[in-house]
Amino acid sequence: MSRGEALMAAHDYLSTPRENRSEQFTKSHLENADTLSGIFAVLKDRGNVAPADVLEEAKVLYEWLSAPQHRVGFFDESDYFRGESALYAGASTRLVGSREETERWLDRAEASFRHTINPAPMLARVAYIRLALRYDTGRYDEVTELIPSLHLTFGKLAMAEEYWKCRFLEGMAFKAMGNLDQAAVAFEDLVSAAQLPVDDGLKGTALINLGNLKSGQGDHEAALRSYSEALPLLKRANRPVALADLKTMVGETLNLLGRKTQAIDAYLEAVADYISIGAATQAAYIQVVLAEALLDAERPREAEWQIAAALPTIEREKMLPEGLAAVVLLKESVRQRNANPKALAEVRHHLQNRA
Amino acid sequence: MEISDDLGVSLSHEDDFEREIETVFRETLGLIHIALVSHYQLKEQEATELEKDLFVWFRRFCYRPGASIRENRPFLLVACCQFAREYQKYLVGTGVLSSDEKLKLILDREPVDVAHDFSRSLQLFDFRRSDA
Repeated sequence: MSRGEALMAAHDYLSTPRENRSEQFTKSHLENADTLSGIFAVLKDRGNVAPADVLEEAKVLYEWLSAPQHRVGFFDESDYFRGESALYAGASTRLVGSREETERWLDRAEASFRHTINPAPMLARVAYIRLALRYDTGRYDEVTELIPSLHLTFGKLAMAEEYWKCRFLEGMAFKAMGNLDQAAVAFEDLVSAAQLPVDDGLKGTALINLGNLKSGQGDHEAALRSYSEALPLLKRANRPVALADLKTMVGETLNLLGRKTQAIDAYLEAVADYISIGAATQAAYIQVVLAEALLDAERPREAEWQIAAALPTIEREKMLPEGLAAVVLLKESVRQRNANPKALAEVRHHLQNRA
Repeated sequence: MEISDDLGVSLSHEDDFEREIETVFRETLGLIHIALVSHYQLKEQEATELEKDLFVWFRRFCYRPGASIRENRPFLLVACCQFAREYQKYLVGTGVLSSDEKLKLILDREPVDVAHDFSRSLQLFDFRRSDA
């Protein structure tokens, strides 16, 4: 089977809803190692767009491949594919937020990859997710200590994507630690990409962060230039989450520059994007930020709509402690059609700290 | 027209990649055959069948990240030795094949070590190629 045919078979499998896949249908697709390779290639592209979906698919694959009666391909291929499914499940679980479960998937991935003929590149990929997980839990000093070695490994293996992901993660850790100069160097390194080619999505995300650093240093015009460079890259790479983040940051910078109407438009676009990708909590947070900007621009009615739209999500998803006085006050003020700016600012502050 | 142009580029890149896999496999096939027939004592027909499976595996293996096609040759030899060893051990274990001293010796060795010895021959081959 050619690579093109394998990808077509993979799309056939993945475009069939999971509940409609018969045992025979699943078997005929997954027993074919070429199709399975194609399925992982497709899932790789979807990882940043639909992590929840990739997680479900990866779980199904891992379970199927782990059944003793299912052997796929030759030599080490069963172990390799099982490792891939566990790695994809781990990477996706991390993105949708469950840390303990991520660790477990990574353990499974390592256990399978250890039995393959050339485990080093695969184990390095697992190590990267482990470091990303440390970043998520705020262990930034561990990330900056350990990532240069992994960065070097990926360089030696000529794994360009992972090589740059390491540099990006290092930059993010420096940024979180307040080491802004080193963070800027890491992001600029990625934008210039002198060593190995870098993909548009990652380059665009580095530009967003570079812009964010410049905005934080008061150079808002330079920040907007970075953002406008990032926009076409992220569109080309189909990174809806990063695009929504970008619009949020553009909104923040325009707000700081006093360009209120443009800032509101950018926030509105960000909210619409977050809603369309199912990131409800992020949408609710930006609606609160947007409401503040609307009040500031003396557009109280629109501000109340945004608050009214955000509150159900804030409560349903338990984004703030139950019974928080500011939330109660804000709800009441919206009911009376007289949004309370102080309560709104307090709610935004709590949400910001939570994020 | 943009879509078809991109597709053309990607297809031609894929063709080049597939051709390189075939070339590298063909270059290594002589050594693989010697390993299977002379060292692991497979019959000609068994070796030919195994070589077909090895090619299918190697083709997919080259799509894994972390090494160029040429850098993957030592792993091809490891897979060759591993499969030959499992196959012959199975035949000896079930009594289909009787083992002589030479076969016993190679079946007792780790496939990675045997493949490592063969890799030296590959290095020699590369040296000659670059010298030519």
